[in-house]
Amino acid sequence: MSRPAPKLSELARLGFSELSEAGRLIGEVPESTLPLFAGAADPDAALRLLIRLRERSAADVDRVLADPESAERLVRLIGASEGLADFLLRRPEALDALEHPLLVPLDHDAARAVLADAVDGGADEVAWVRLRVAYRRELTRLASWDLSSSDAVAVLDTVAAGLADLASAALDVAIEIARRASRFPAEQVAATRFSIIAMGKTGARELNYLSDIDVIYVGDARRDADGTPVLGDDRAVEIATRLAIDTQRVVSELAVEPALWEVDANLRPEGKDGALVRTLDSHRAYYDRWAKNWEFQALLKARPVAGDADLGDEYLQRIWPLVWTSAGRDGFVESVQGMRERVTDNIPADEVDVQIKLGPGGLRDVEFTIQLLQLVHGQHDESVRRRSTLDALEALAGSGYVGRAEAAEFSRDYRTLRVLEHRIQLSRMRRTHLMPRDPDALRALARTSGLAASGDALIEAWQRIKIEVRGLHERLFYRPLLSAVAGLPDEDFQLTSEQAEARLSAAGFRDPRGALHHIAALTSGVSRRAAIQRTLLPVMLSWLSDGPDPDYGLLAFRRLSDDLGEAYWFLRMLRDSAGGARRLTDVLSSSRFVGVLFERFPEAAAWLENDSELRPRSAALLAEETAATLARHRGDVDAAALALRTARRREVLRLALAGIVGVITVEELGRSLSEITATLIDGILTLARRDTEGLEFAVIAMGRFGGGELGFGSDADILYVHRPTSATPEDAQKQAEKIVRELIRLSEDLRLPLELDAGLRPEGKNGPLVRSLDSYRAYYARWSLTWEAQALLRASVAAGDRDLALDFLHMADDIRYPASIPEADVREVKRIKARVESERLPRGADPARHLKLGRGSLSDVEWLVQLIQLQHAAAVPALRTTSTLDALAAAVAADLVSAADADRLRDAWLIASRARSALTLWTAKTGDVLPTERQALEGVARLLAYPAGGANALDEDYLRTTRVARQVFETLFYGPRLSSTQR
Amino acid sequence: MDKQRDFVLRTIEERGVKFVRLWFTDVVGTLKSVALAPAEVEGAFTEGVGFDGSAIEGLTRTSEADVLAIPDPTTFQILPWRGDVDPTARMFCDITTPDGQPAMADPRNVLKRTLAKAADRGFTFYTHPEIEFYLLKSSQMENGQPVPVDRAGYFDNVPGGTAHDFRRRSVRMLEDLGISVEFSHHEAGPGQNEIDLRYADALTTADNIMTFRTVVKEVAIEQGCYATFMPKPFSGQPGSGMHTHVSLFEGDSNAFYDASGEYQLSRIGRQFVAGLLQHAPEITAITNQFINSYKRLWGGDEAPSYLTWGHNNRSALVRVPIYKPGKGQSARVEYRALDSAANPYLAYSLILAAGLKGIEEGYELPAEADGDVWNMSDGERRALGYAPLPASLDRALRLMEESELVAETLGEHVFNFVLANKRRDVAEYRAQVTPYELASNLEIL
Repeated sequence: MSRPAPKLSELARLGFSELSEAGRLIGEVPESTLPLFAGAADPDAALRLLIRLRERSAADVDRVLADPESAERLVRLIGASEGLADFLLRRPEALDALEHPLLVPLDHDAARAVLADAVDGGADEVAWVRLRVAYRRELTRLASWDLSSSDAVAVLDTVAAGLADLASAALDVAIEIARRASRFPAEQVAATRFSIIAMGKTGARELNYLSDIDVIYVGDARRDADGTPVLGDDRAVEIATRLAIDTQRVVSELAVEPALWEVDANLRPEGKDGALVRTLDSHRAYYDRWAKNWEFQALLKARPVAGDADLGDEYLQRIWPLVWTSAGRDGFVESVQGMRERVTDNIPADEVDVQIKLGPGGLRDVEFTIQLLQLVHGQHDESVRRRSTLDALEALAGSGYVGRAEAAEFSRDYRTLRVLEHRIQLSRMRRTHLMPRDPDALRALARTSGLAASGDALIEAWQRIKIEVRGLHERLFYRPLLSAVAGLPDEDFQLTSEQAEARLSAAGFRDPRGALHHIAALTSGVSRRAAIQRTLLPVMLSWLSDGPDPDYGLLAFRRLSDDLGEAYWFLRMLRDSAGGARRLTDVLSSSRFVGVLFERFPEAAAWLENDSELRPRSAALLAEETAATLARHRGDVDAAALALRTARRREVLRLALAGIVGVITVEELGRSLSEITATLIDGILTLARRDTEGLEFAVIAMGRFGGGELGFGSDADILYVHRPTSATPEDAQKQAEKIVRELIRLSEDLRLPLELDAGLRPEGKNGPLVRSLDSYRAYYARWSLTWEAQALLRASVAAGDRDLALDFLHMADDIRYPASIPEADVREVKRIKARVESERLPRGADPARHLKLGRGSLSDVEWLVQLIQLQHAAAVPALRTTSTLDALAAAVAADLVSAADADRLRDAWLIASRARSALTLWTAKTGDVLPTERQALEGVARLLAYPAGGANALDEDYLRTTRVARQVFETLFYGPRLSSTQR
Repeated sequence: MDKQRDFVLRTIEERGVKFVRLWFTDVVGTLKSVALAPAEVEGAFTEGVGFDGSAIEGLTRTSEADVLAIPDPTTFQILPWRGDVDPTARMFCDITTPDGQPAMADPRNVLKRTLAKAADRGFTFYTHPEIEFYLLKSSQMENGQPVPVDRAGYFDNVPGGTAHDFRRRSVRMLEDLGISVEFSHHEAGPGQNEIDLRYADALTTADNIMTFRTVVKEVAIEQGCYATFMPKPFSGQPGSGMHTHVSLFEGDSNAFYDASGEYQLSRIGRQFVAGLLQHAPEITAITNQFINSYKRLWGGDEAPSYLTWGHNNRSALVRVPIYKPGKGQSARVEYRALDSAANPYLAYSLILAAGLKGIEEGYELPAEADGDVWNMSDGERRALGYAPLPASLDRALRLMEESELVAETLGEHVFNFVLANKRRDVAEYRAQVTPYELASNLEIL
């Protein structure tokens, strides 16, 4: 029996990879089989398994090998499925399956006949085993048919339907076994109707090789000719429940032949806690009233598959129509968004790169979009009420809800993904949706699927599909919206406005009609702009709908597009820069403040493409621009002032964008806003001083402006100071007053108000608006009040003559950093603070929610820091800063505040500052109270980077952070509570 | 749940229910009620009933309807005291915001949240309260004192006495409402009674306590007397506590039970008790929430005033009771500070949170208290490390205000509402000139 061993190169050509091992083993199988291994996905495994099979039962194997076609089938099968090879090793008598190939997969009835035959009226465990063996024998034939087809992608749906029919046939026969084995009186069992409704992939006849079978059970009593039940329904349900349990045991309980699959009845009404079997009325009553929306989505695939056919049909007639009313129910949008999240979330991190089913570009993504379209349009159009994904896609295209070309494309992608899934599952007969990582397994997968020549090529092809499928939702769901409002030359269908509005509401637009109107305006016409918008808008709409206010986002986007018209860069950005366009939709759907400013600076949209454009401009650059502007408009004061104000708006917009997309922190924001404000004042001041002479003039920044902590919409606290040089004091004062008047007039901006607030000046509102440095000095020397010293802690140079400003600050140093501060003054600070707390808070405002004056918020932290500065800055130079957080850090370094306490104060200061800016961004109005109204709170939460639905979390975080800060504040500021103090 | 809703709607129909009362509880533990006509109930299940959120904040009205009450169908019961004339039913409600988020200020939600936290760690929390109260002749006082219905004492059988009939009738009604009663007897004070509810999960128990208070008040009215849950109505007599036995279960097994542990108390049980002792001072403003509560806590008569535990020691704050051998499932510990006027939702939340904290942080249980802590001298107690519970509501509030455990468990909203409410109580009380002051000061000063 010796024959020349084949050359290793021959084995390599056949596809073996362990060549010497194969060379050693190949002699053990008949020579005629050698060429067959070329058809095996994994020739090495096929060879090993063939040898083991022959060891197990040479007669059975050799009979198969005797026929060349059967032999080819066997090698192909065991080369693709170790799982089925295991079955054949266990049951060699089933090898005859390969001698009787399928011409077409069996349908339910044919499969049922085969399985029933095998069971042969049995009712015991022997019958279970027979059923399972017969099922696996048929599964072997089906797999063999699948593997023999020349185009796995083309026959995917036939295979999937065959798998579902085989499973339903097994369930049907299992019910018969359970009925025969029932311990209830035979006539009662006979009088009980029982039916299995398949859900999910079984229901849709698109089953995998290995999957749980999702079912719902229904049962009741048979009626006699008059329609009277021959058995109480309660009793019938009791018997049917037993039947259901026993049917599950027939297929799933431990026996000599392993279980087929899990029967999962958890999609039933009330899930795990609900009754296993219900009557029709009970099902209907449940769905009529209480079903949650996702349960309807599951019902979309419901189909009676086993047991009493009449009962199953009645179920379908009564329940299925409900599926198609769900899109009209309250909460549909939320539930859809929830489903979408479930589609993309919950993938373990180590699986992300190999998931075929979940995640962006996975099978679930396709199924989700198609089901959503079915639910939205199936409401009024029966033609799209199909169960299987592929049928539904075809029907949606047929009825004009999606484009034909797209439908064909996605049908191919979906089939391809499913073929991959099938082949992976077939290999070990395991329920998995993960691409293999092992190169050998990938190579086998490429060979068995026929999709690529090598493992690497397969991965590449898969990645391409994933990318396409990722865009599916936009292309199938949003793109057709455009057809409702604009004739799309390349489309063969058109949605009606009602259909389009239904889709938009499902996507979360509160005013779908308005939205459709904007879509029409954006896309109609023959301009190049409209053409490009038609391509881009679908994805923009999808992104807008993820934001907290999609309606406003779309409106703002329309305005922006109107303004920018055909600007090449804008259309290019939308088209080519995914990052820029995504950011644009994010900012527009979350900020009215930005929306308003964009109207003036549509070109700012370009910055979103590039983080460096969003970085705040340096103070030097701003000053340079100011100088250039002034030079350009020499002689025209009003035009120059306008140009300066415009520059400010532009830079504020830049910061707003940067803040929303997270390019800068709230501390950088405060510094930059303060610089922009100072730059404007400086420029305007140059204009205001045009006709004056003989005096120096400067603007001192105070308050949060002085601290470099301005937020959007903050007032700028300032002081004006002058110093005569050649002019007489009286004349200088007059000129200075004129400068201030002019400064205020020229800086006034209705679009983006800039409130110059000089309220911190000596004598407050009663004092002169501007003073000479000498006058300040004299005043402070004579009258200096503690609150004024405190206010001066924040004084810094804003604009004007630098020497004068520095002299002012020098003078201020003596006041604000006193060598020692009398105890009475400290008490005075505390007393004023206590009074401010009770008096300044607006009537009716909740102190816990006031961002500025509330419990543990900005003013608590700032007053505490300022008190520490007044007391210790003389000795601790690092405390001589106008910045709250810098001073706080210095206080920690000097052991004046513990690090833990400082952290709490800092956290509160930051969350209040951020919330305040976010509130202005959200509403385009300045507000000081954390909103209680839900949509506003949600909007603020989203701007603070909370996930959707984060309103409650922000609320709790804010209240906790500020409460804890208040505890620190009370102890450090007011001092330890006196033991006799009662609250 | 949904089957329950069907059951509710069907029962309303079949029993001819005329009114359905939706019950919820404000932060102080006062029962609030909205009456619905039967036709409105179905809508209430799906859409809820809107009302002004300040109703649960224990504050005055501040805004328009801004929260929704969603009835919990599993709590549906026909109220027995209405008889067959105009049958009336009740359900407890969960409170939500208009966008469907649980309202942060709803005490029932606080307990649900805390129970969910325990469930995340694999625990279910069971409680079994012993509720004491006084029966008075009426709510009117005579000579400035309330008048009890009898002069009997502990376990006394009072022939033909009001109290006996009263308990029989109350127990009957509670059973009609599906609330199982374990035990009932006359307590030590004149007119004082105790009724023990069977153990159940904490949410059910809290709901039951709210119902219980209503039943007892209703029966009292029926019998021409008056029932009060005031913690200490008589200065010379024992106060009304609500000792509560608590236990944690992991699945079907009692997590407090360990056959080999001291007193068969498991390590988890010991840590739970240690948590209770450690955090008892800061939760006292909730477990003992009235000015009057502190007159009970510091009034002797078995009320616990010190942070101690003991095996069968009735002066201890936490008692590890004896149970019959082989009854491992009934392993439990008794928290004795709680009084009958507490808001059961919040009190149980905090007892659970304190115990869980003990388990999480692995607190060590201090030595068992030996002997009557009350009879020790201050020096002895200090030597043994028995710290006192707060002596007044004011003190308790200050401890609570600094407690992260309490803030985190109650949520920022409830935490603030309770503090605001109770601070107002303290301020108003301080403004009073009491009969005691007049009696002891007026004539000599």
